[in-house]
Amino acid sequence: MNKLLNISLVSIITIVFGACASSSSPSLSSVKDIDVEKVCSVENNGIEKVIQTAKKYNEIAKKNELEFRRLGVNNTDLIISVEEAIKTGAKEVNPKDFKGKASKTKLPVEFGAIRACKFAISALTQANEAKTTWRLAVPGDGYEY
Amino acid sequence: MLTRLLKASVLTSFAFFSLNATQFDVQAQKDKKELVKYFEAKFQDPYKNKNTFFPYSPEEELKDGYEKGLKHMDFGIGSYSYAKDAKEQYEAIKEFPPYEDKIEDGEELYTKEFANGNSLKTCFPDPTIGGDYPYFDTNRKEVISLTTAINECLESNNEKKWNAKKGKMATFQAFLAYSTAEAQKKMNIKIPTKEAQEAYERGKEYYYTQRGYLKLSCATCHIQGAGQRVRNEKLSPLLGQITHFPVYRLKWGGLGTLERRMSGCVKDQGQVPPKNDSKQMHELLYFMAYMSNDMPIDGPDVRK
Repeated sequence: MNKLLNISLVSIITIVFGACASSSSPSLSSVKDIDVEKVCSVENNGIEKVIQTAKKYNEIAKKNELEFRRLGVNNTDLIISVEEAIKTGAKEVNPKDFKGKASKTKLPVEFGAIRACKFAISALTQANEAKTTWRLAVPGDGYEY
Repeated sequence: MLTRLLKASVLTSFAFFSLNATQFDVQAQKDKKELVKYFEAKFQDPYKNKNTFFPYSPEEELKDGYEKGLKHMDFGIGSYSYAKDAKEQYEAIKEFPPYEDKIEDGEELYTKEFANGNSLKTCFPDPTIGGDYPYFDTNRKEVISLTTAINECLESNNEKKWNAKKGKMATFQAFLAYSTAEAQKKMNIKIPTKEAQEAYERGKEYYYTQRGYLKLSCATCHIQGAGQRVRNEKLSPLLGQITHFPVYRLKWGGLGTLERRMSGCVKDQGQVPPKNDSKQMHELLYFMAYMSNDMPIDGPDVRK
């Protein structure tokens, strides 16, 4: 009887912890219904919230090896540069490139935040889409000519 | 009676296992066949098939700038198989190949003793192995690339790993590729198990998946886009794309490995490329290598 009770307790704890973990760390499919224009709008949400959104989804993109890089700048470095600009009050960001050196990218802070947010979410939405569309490019499978 | 029974069982098991062994690459063989069919159709006559394959290319260019009637093995030299002007330049460069001295340097690295008395030759007694990589290691249940195998050899002999993209790694691989080509060997990639088949499928999915901020897949340029001109260069085909590595790339001004080129491609799509020794990179190369199966190894080579 005690054994049965123990097993039930362990199962309940596992389910509860599992549910908590999955709700606190969003997965690749969690971006399915996100309106990117809406959540990445600095005008509607404020720059701090937009960069937090960028940070949250970019972490998932990184975990899934989907992070965007533009002109040598990883999205992570763009996010860092925007966060620093918010702290210092700078009007422009100059993120570091993936080697840690100054990049040629120079952007107004708000635009940097919007781009970082859109990049983070798009990396995930297009990976979701691709799960059903990639075969359309395979000769002899979905690709017809 | 007992001997006959034993013989029958041995034969049955042999047939069973060999049947199973070949079953794992059925899809891969089909993929390759379809790929060859596609490229042969595309380059049968680019001008005549303009509407199907080259809707945005100028007619004059299609009429005079492309070779026609290409067959499977012709694609071994990449875009130089169909781009007439690029092929002329390629042949001119090949008269004095810029990588020639690297083959000798690579041979020196092959026999150079490590501190413990071993050498790369100890790990790779047969240097004509260029067409056997990447392979699926059935014990480790993962794909191993040539670059990873070389670095594992170095580390197991208490030597420092080499840069996976250039330098000694590319130089040594130039020697292996040259030895393999001299032995007239071909790409010979096997899919021996269910796990290997799954690795192949993941590599294939990676190749065809749109990624990065430009939302391009490898296939966008090297299947659907193969032969189309980007600025002044015609894009290369997947078929035979990796039979000639390492390459001396004019843009690099030196030799580079397949990993270096693949990282560049993924970066151009607008995404952080997979690590050189990652599962993703290995499986991508595994798929690409299988697509070039049976094509002769002709590395090292030169590319723009």
